[in-house]
Amino acid sequence: MHKIRVLIIDDEPDFLETIVKRLMKRKMDATGVGSGEDALSLIENESFDVAILDMRMPGMDGIETLKELKRKSPLTEVIMLTGHASVESGMQGMQFGAFDYMIKPADFEELVEKVNQAGERRRLHEERIQKS
Amino acid sequence: MSARPRVLIVDDEERFRTTLRKLLTVREMEAADVGSAKDAFSEMEKNSYDVILLDVKMPEMNGIEALGRIKKEHPDVEVIILTGHASVDAAVEIMKLGGYEYLLKPCPIDELAGKIETAWERKIARAKRKTEGS
Amino acid sequence: MLTIPPSIVFKGYLFAVPALVLALSLPLFAFGGPVAAILAPIVSAVCYFTIRSLLSQISIVREEKCFLDEQLIQTQKLAAIGELSAGIAHEINNPLAIIAQEIEWARYQFDEERQTETSSAELKDSLNEIAVQVERCREITHKLLDFARKKDPLIQGVEINKLIEDMARLVEREATQKDIRIIRQYCGSLPPVHTDPPLLRQVILNLLNNATYAIGENGTIEIKTRILSGSFVELVVSDTGCGISKENLSKIFDPFFTTKPPGKGTGLGLSICHGIVVRLGGRFAVESELGKGTSFFVRIPIFYQSREVK
Repeated sequence: MHKIRVLIIDDEPDFLETIVKRLMKRKMDATGVGSGEDALSLIENESFDVAILDMRMPGMDGIETLKELKRKSPLTEVIMLTGHASVESGMQGMQFGAFDYMIKPADFEELVEKVNQAGERRRLHEERIQKS
Repeated sequence: MSARPRVLIVDDEERFRTTLRKLLTVREMEAADVGSAKDAFSEMEKNSYDVILLDVKMPEMNGIEALGRIKKEHPDVEVIILTGHASVDAAVEIMKLGGYEYLLKPCPIDELAGKIETAWERKIARAKRKTEGS
Repeated sequence: MLTIPPSIVFKGYLFAVPALVLALSLPLFAFGGPVAAILAPIVSAVCYFTIRSLLSQISIVREEKCFLDEQLIQTQKLAAIGELSAGIAHEINNPLAIIAQEIEWARYQFDEERQTETSSAELKDSLNEIAVQVERCREITHKLLDFARKKDPLIQGVEINKLIEDMARLVEREATQKDIRIIRQYCGSLPPVHTDPPLLRQVILNLLNNATYAIGENGTIEIKTRILSGSFVELVVSDTGCGISKENLSKIFDPFFTTKPPGKGTGLGLSICHGIVVRLGGRFAVESELGKGTSFFVRIPIFYQSREVK
């Protein structure tokens, strides 16, 4: 059972560091980046099972990042994360292929559960592709 | 009869009707706009118009019903139907009810202005015949 | 409905008929004399060839029926596409008409003789409006692509109450600002449901959003879950909003049907939701009373079974 590879994209450095550490403790392979642009350059060379994406960042915004992420790495399941809950962005995100949506402050256990569910989905998706 | 055509634009898309009004005004027409058939009827009670530009798909009363009523209450007014969706049945219905023309959106402004002018001219010619005839 | 597999029956006859002929001829020969013995095989042969030709006729008819069924499905699909295309054309023609006019107006501003102070403000405004309308078209085409793309559901075990609660909390923040309460009545004994979580989330979010819009300000949204006789789970989203009129009720699942003012809402939401629920093997229903409120019922099977295209 391989470790789930998680990419966390958030412009708050403290939050980022904490989440990465805690996910590592849960035996996940976690990496953190501070912007959408950094995330997109990273995925050129590395692949991730799940991405946790902050929807409100300066520079490239959440929806744009989501779209590019899904385009470049369609199998990566994306969990949207934001302190500013907007139904509009939630619906948009789901339409553009996000797996789930969490409101900050996020309960860590819930986050882990969602990451696991997203990871499971990624695995199922890969299996289906391999079968066809 | 005025020296220039008086046009009433009836369409529920606000931006569409306001910009059209501006475009017709700079082409030397007197133009006004309303957002529904109901408003159109109240407006026509207050002021007289030569040509009505009528959108087919509107909430409450649709263009075809409105056309019927306009021809009844203001038989001299010419009506041009504007629609985003062409349908042969609707076109036939419109001509039967006395519509002057049936145009598909988007319609180039020059073409639209041209149709308004000819409709207005037809109205003048008809009025002349009436006064000469009777 | 003809479900005989002709080849098997055919082969059966190949063996059965000669055996029958033999079995019949022998006693006939014994009792009926040589004439009977000669007649019997002839009669049997006639029966044999009749049956064989009947079987091939049946197989031809079956093939034709399959072909006709396929044609019918194709025709229905084409009719649906035709209707959809007309809807799309209409929806996009309105923004296009606005764009065309804004361009005309902008060109007018550029005319040297007429350059005024307000010209550049008008220009800016026109360009802005063009951008707005382009966005509107984009939403339409993107939603359409989504609608057309038949995503096969990816099945996972889902805690339905939790899934709904997540979406409810998302909507709640904005809802409370408009004095809209969300009441939950979750069934405590729901088993995990095997369905596609993000697809279901889209449906729930859409329904909750519609409910908020229908209410406007000051009202209640009620969310209920329960088990339906054995193998289905039912989710109900009810609102105390404006309700849907009887004539509109039959149209709400049509693509592009919307009661929102032009430019606000493409009218594709409910039709997409309906498509999703059907793909999940479920049923989507609505009850409404004008002025009182609306309830949407989503029933999905606890265990997903892929639906054959009939």
